[in-house]
Amino acid sequence: MQKDIYILGIESSCDETAAAVVKNGREVLSNIISSQIVIHRKFGGVVPEIASRKHIENIMPVIDEALAKANLALEDIDAVAVTYGPGLVGALLVGLSAAKSLAWALDKPLIGVNHLEGHIFANFLNDKDLEPPFMALVVSGGHTALLHVKGYNEFELLGQSRDDAAGEAFDKIARVMGRPYPGGPEIEKLAETGNPDAIHFPTAKLDNPYEFSFSGLKSAVLNYLHNEEQAGRAVNYNDVAASFQNAVVNALCERAVYAMQQSGLKNIVLAGGVSANKVLQNRLAETMEKIGCHLVHPTPILCTDNAVMIACRGHFMYQAGMRSPLDLNAQPSLKLK
Amino acid sequence: MLILGIDTATKVCSVALTLDGRVLAEHNSTDGIAHSRRLLPEIDGLLKTAQVAKEDIDMVAVSMGPGSFTGLRIGLATAEAIAYARKRFLHGVNTLEALAYNLRGEKKIISPLIDAQKGNFYQALYQWQGDELVCLEPVAIVNQGKLWERIGDRPAIVTGECGALQNLPEHIELATEDLRSPLAKSLCAIAERNFDEEKDKNFFGLEPFYIRRSEAEELWEQRHR
Repeated sequence: MQKDIYILGIESSCDETAAAVVKNGREVLSNIISSQIVIHRKFGGVVPEIASRKHIENIMPVIDEALAKANLALEDIDAVAVTYGPGLVGALLVGLSAAKSLAWALDKPLIGVNHLEGHIFANFLNDKDLEPPFMALVVSGGHTALLHVKGYNEFELLGQSRDDAAGEAFDKIARVMGRPYPGGPEIEKLAETGNPDAIHFPTAKLDNPYEFSFSGLKSAVLNYLHNEEQAGRAVNYNDVAASFQNAVVNALCERAVYAMQQSGLKNIVLAGGVSANKVLQNRLAETMEKIGCHLVHPTPILCTDNAVMIACRGHFMYQAGMRSPLDLNAQPSLKLK
Repeated sequence: MLILGIDTATKVCSVALTLDGRVLAEHNSTDGIAHSRRLLPEIDGLLKTAQVAKEDIDMVAVSMGPGSFTGLRIGLATAEAIAYARKRFLHGVNTLEALAYNLRGEKKIISPLIDAQKGNFYQALYQWQGDELVCLEPVAIVNQGKLWERIGDRPAIVTGECGALQNLPEHIELATEDLRSPLAKSLCAIAERNFDEEKDKNFFGLEPFYIRRSEAEELWEQRHR
């Protein structure tokens, strides 16, 4: 019988301090998240210095709780996996410094994980039978990308956003409509009672069918809001939110369909904070079904930043013998490859 | 007591191992390599040099600031995690006090300085009274033009990040360059003196001496006054 593998995951790239223990890459033993959303709300977005201060306050208690919930001692862990980018550099450095030191102090392997790859791997915890190859649609506050996941450690980036990420547009538009941070859930809530066909917001047509662009769409919505206000007309925020969301979802679905047809793959996964959006989940699932494909998406708790996904990604890197050196530094603009 | 000292409060990355007050090994570097890259390999090398095993460390002493916010957090996260992993003592030391400690036996008032950006310094005043290092005035953020006001006409020696200061009054001198940097062995010495078996058991919730709030908070309060 094979020995069980336990990976401790640590994540502090933005405004959540998180630690988790994952068994054999598929089973969540603990998932501790200390969220700072409420603290950053009054500033209308994440303040890097405040985020870093909360991370250093919370990092050790969060790690301790993750081990306690998993009923394991630090000595029982096989490796420490940690997000080293992309993200806010000061925030990343807290989790990274703690992870490196834990690994060093107990002579355990250190595994630096790309946060975006982590988001993709959150899907392995929802669908225990999911295996590469599959397509991944990453949609978050910082990224929008299509990847061909060829193997557990082999990815091909097909295309990404040339300007704003989808989540960025959600946040910005929510803010202009006077909604608190984070904007994604706010737009989704507003859109529930709005008409998605009320206003036509155009999305960019690009030469590269795998690429995304959301800055034009964002400007179109902002201009619309501005013009209506200038003209003294009352704006129906529900219709604006629904129409904007509809335009984003359409653009994402269109690229996803093209990618699936070109690649001949059967499975596609959603990843990143925006994957929590129910309209996106449902529409993409329907669209995929129509072309004979299958969508996998994470449960809400694994859509947003968490350490389970980092531990999961770390597990497969551990299995492949991938290790990081003790001089691993934070890489705030780490890319998907 | 075997103490590992870690200071990343300023541009200097300083680590030291002391055993009952004796320095077993130390390393200080200012070459500009990021603390986050340098610190752990440096600690690892230190233990090898001193031929000490990780499990032999009794306490980790760490520089708590004032200093670079990011540097302080790298040092503290590292120290906390080592202490936590090995269930050892953790002791935080004021960086200005550690700077004053470098000048053991000095008769004059000691004014350690650490850059607080925009022409300001973190300043406190210390004095050696016999074997005791006494804090005469606690840390404050002082504009460069007003640095000597708290000293008055008392003879004093300035240390820390004071290299760029010019036209010092006659009764104030600069510490020699080799003693101006935070040295982890001074942290170890202070930690050993102030060791508290109950308090130092706790490796959670230590907060760096930021002194200052984040800029975003200061601006927010100005706007909402």
